[in-house]
Amino acid sequence: NKSDERMKKFKNKGKDAAALRRRRVEVNVELRKAKKDEQILKRRSISFRLLDENLNEEREKRNEIIQLSLEEIVEAVNGNNAELQLQATQATRRMLSRQKDPLINEIIELGIIPRLVEFLIHADNPPLQFEAAWALTNIASGTSDQTRAVVEGNAIPAFISLLSSPHMHISEQSVWALGNIAGDGPLYRDALIKCNVIPPLLALVSPATPVNNLPSLVFQVGFLRNITWTLSNLCRNKNPYPPLDAVKKMLPVLIRLIKHEDKDIISDSCWAVSYLTDGSNDRIQIVVDTGILPRLVELMASPELLVMTPALRAIGNVVTGTDEQTQAAIDAGVLAVLPSLLRHGKPTIEKEAAWALSNIAAGPSQQIQQLIMCGLLPPLVELLDKGDFKAQKEAVWAVANFTMGGTVEQVVELVRSGVLKPLLNLLLAKDSKTILVILDTISNLFRAAEKLGETERLCLLVEELDGLEKIEALQTHDNNMVYKAALNIIEKYFSGE
Amino acid sequence: LLFLQRVLLLVASDVDALCACKILQALFQCDHVQYTLVPVSGWQELETAFLEHKDQFKYFVLINCGANVDLLEILQPEEDTFFFVCDSHRPINVVNVYNDTQIKLLVKQDDDINVPAYDDIFRDEEDEEEDSEKESDGSEPSEKRRRFEGDVIERTMKRRQRREWEARRQEILFDYEQYEYHGTSSAMVMFDLAWIMSKDLNDMLWWAIVGLTDQWVQDKITQMKYVTDIGILQRHVSRHNHRNEDEENSLSIDCMRIAFEYDLRLALYQHWSLYESLCNTSYTSASLKLWSVQGQKRLHELLADMGLPLKQVRQKFNSMDMSLKENLLEMIEESANKFGMKDLRVQTFSIHFGFKNKFSASDIVYATASLMENIEKEEPETTNFIKALDSLSRGNLDKLHQGLELAKKQLRAIQQTVASCICTNLVISQGPFLYCSLMEGTPDVKLFSKPVSLCLLSKYLLKSFVCSTKNKRCKLLPLVMAAPMDVEQGTVIMVGIPPETESSDKKNFFGRAFEKAADSTNSRTLHNHFDMSIIELKMEDRSKFLDALISLLS
Repeated sequence: NKSDERMKKFKNKGKDAAALRRRRVEVNVELRKAKKDEQILKRRSISFRLLDENLNEEREKRNEIIQLSLEEIVEAVNGNNAELQLQATQATRRMLSRQKDPLINEIIELGIIPRLVEFLIHADNPPLQFEAAWALTNIASGTSDQTRAVVEGNAIPAFISLLSSPHMHISEQSVWALGNIAGDGPLYRDALIKCNVIPPLLALVSPATPVNNLPSLVFQVGFLRNITWTLSNLCRNKNPYPPLDAVKKMLPVLIRLIKHEDKDIISDSCWAVSYLTDGSNDRIQIVVDTGILPRLVELMASPELLVMTPALRAIGNVVTGTDEQTQAAIDAGVLAVLPSLLRHGKPTIEKEAAWALSNIAAGPSQQIQQLIMCGLLPPLVELLDKGDFKAQKEAVWAVANFTMGGTVEQVVELVRSGVLKPLLNLLLAKDSKTILVILDTISNLFRAAEKLGETERLCLLVEELDGLEKIEALQTHDNNMVYKAALNIIEKYFSGE
Repeated sequence: LLFLQRVLLLVASDVDALCACKILQALFQCDHVQYTLVPVSGWQELETAFLEHKDQFKYFVLINCGANVDLLEILQPEEDTFFFVCDSHRPINVVNVYNDTQIKLLVKQDDDINVPAYDDIFRDEEDEEEDSEKESDGSEPSEKRRRFEGDVIERTMKRRQRREWEARRQEILFDYEQYEYHGTSSAMVMFDLAWIMSKDLNDMLWWAIVGLTDQWVQDKITQMKYVTDIGILQRHVSRHNHRNEDEENSLSIDCMRIAFEYDLRLALYQHWSLYESLCNTSYTSASLKLWSVQGQKRLHELLADMGLPLKQVRQKFNSMDMSLKENLLEMIEESANKFGMKDLRVQTFSIHFGFKNKFSASDIVYATASLMENIEKEEPETTNFIKALDSLSRGNLDKLHQGLELAKKQLRAIQQTVASCICTNLVISQGPFLYCSLMEGTPDVKLFSKPVSLCLLSKYLLKSFVCSTKNKRCKLLPLVMAAPMDVEQGTVIMVGIPPETESSDKKNFFGRAFEKAADSTNSRTLHNHFDMSIIELKMEDRSKFLDALISLLS
């Protein structure tokens, strides 16, 4: 067809588009992979580097790094020569731990996973145990299918028993592997819990545990980070939630970890708590009962995003609970921290803070009163005015909830703090849900004004702030509910002479 | 198939763009493509036009605008909007070059655009973000982690590499974006397209010629580039016009014929008097220094040397004695040579409409440009644009003649202004560049609030100044020129042009320099013109702006 022909010619006249496209895609793919690698890299702990270097040095002294083909690996791993087994396992581990092309699938296809799992229990050969554990960890770090290959090789019980290995680096590598398996989803998480992973894991944290071969304190922190991360994965994911009794076992340890001074440990334990609070009120209650809320509130004020984000998330979850649970958060001092978070500057933080505030504003009028007393209205109005749109939406909810549950006096206080102008401005938003919430809020305001006999004044105020024209304009809105709500306000309050 | 939808044509206000537009219109007509034409004189109009039409159109063709900025950034189009950009402005913005979905550039294959390699200037942005945030971000922990070997060293290496890469990128982009210049005429690119599609017609070829000649008249391309492109067009001319040579009687009233010529570099002389043309052509006027009494004397000596009576040269060229005209070209060239004007003859093309009307390509350029910047009637710019566009159609001789008259006025105005600037020493050396500012109240100052006229004036003035000054250093300087723009708003229009040297590569650094000077002084400037070296500036900010420019370039 002529026009097609024409388009081709246009393209050919320009840069060689096809060639460029191909290139761009390639670059993208490669960079995205590199990015993913780096992201994971971020989670690396220092201890292992130290350990790696020691081990590598040691090993390099013993034997040169030997390059083996996949065939040679299969043969050696399946053979009976312990020396060759170690070499081949190490070569496998090395392939799996290089930045580019870790060849996970190729190695799975060799069918050596069951053998590697066997090596895990060779207590007489710790280097072999360690190499196999590392290799399996990296296989389990991949896709769900890849993780499944490790689980189906019956690695779970082997790793769990290795948690109690007298060799710290082996025990730590097992923690890591189990973390990867737990991170795959609720199915394997619960499989691990059923296999009783929790007691030996917690034992590693308990001060009573004899710590063998402890090279340095740094090492301990790294180990602890890995344990914390694995614990957080055991608390993670819904549908279903982790079993309650497992949660109850882990919580006291998490509460201890959250008081640690290492920010990575704090961060991961906060994330764990945030997972545990992301559920029904009885799950929230278990966390509230530990008395951890004051610490979480303290961490919300941390200058480290790494720490502040999960702490805010956890507290935000708690205030979705009952009035009593929300009151516990208020008593822990959440209202004193929120103003600075509402003005944080990072949109995601401001949004989360506004979300938490909106849930507190949904409480009884005593809680609303506390909210006023703690000076939350000015930052709320500011956010409504100048925040990122997602944060503004949460702020709108906060205002809406406030006008629903607040007393007439409290609503007056809200209007006095200048909420109307930014609220009315947001009527220009594209999102009809937000518009509806605002219109409801305006109706609530009028209801309060009526009680005070101040309808006239509110009308004037709305008009002065160009709110009337915006509400009028909404009568032509596509969304039927918006149109009705706008019409309703106009008819009720602005249709007089 | 895609072109079954209406296309929006956004066309800049320069003669080359008009010519490209004419060619494209003819192509659209022959393929029954529906389009809407919107003239745009600057970025603001381009943006407005886009915003107004973005809901009705998915396909936008941009002619002589859009290549040198990040279009997606400026216009924020939806993902299903596509831009075809045919623009001689260089350097092309790198994002436009490497966007292969929404932006299609029409560039001649052999145009050397020297774009930096993709890998040198782009990295996955998400990657960058992740990386810079990695120290302190608050994202959820990863669900699974692979354990690497010896990664810490690699990480620091990576970071160092990234820093080095970043520095190199800055350097590469700086080099790439430092100079503004022009690539192949858009009309020629469009003609090429027509040719490849075997839909090229003689009219289109003529428009391509006019487009190229516009680049030459406006001094946008090097002599080399001009000659090369003339050569390319010459082949097309002989392909299209050969049969007329032996079929004399095929010449009818409405036939047109294009011919290659070595013609005089005298503006509009065939429609003027030889004398007027000599006086108002930049080349002759500057070489003879016509602003001085001696210069006038030299002109008369030159005419005497040619053996042309004053009475004859002052008449309309058409009415000159045929006997004089016979060897006129050779005579003039020979005498001019003696007066140091070695380049009075240039390669160009002319067009014959029927028996009577003959125009050289530069005639058309002057006429069309003048119609476009006509200030005689207070009419919207669109009207001028449409008139100028119409004057390019072969049936519109009255418009063309009207344009020629305007062009004469324009050239006279330029010449007079040049003379008065030189005689009153208005061109001042500021150190790194020459500067000349036209006062409000100067005759014809209104004409010079228009970019094309102001640029022509600047180029003529610089040529003349270089001939008039004895200061060797000054001969090598670029020129910045300012003229009142809008008295009520208190704005001036300012243009910077490269030095006037034999070997000039016509590359202009003022675009970037203006930008930096404005940034560093918070001057209220408007970079509205598609040429970055033309800006609008608040009168009060002029001195601090100039100070910054001087220190920047010193």
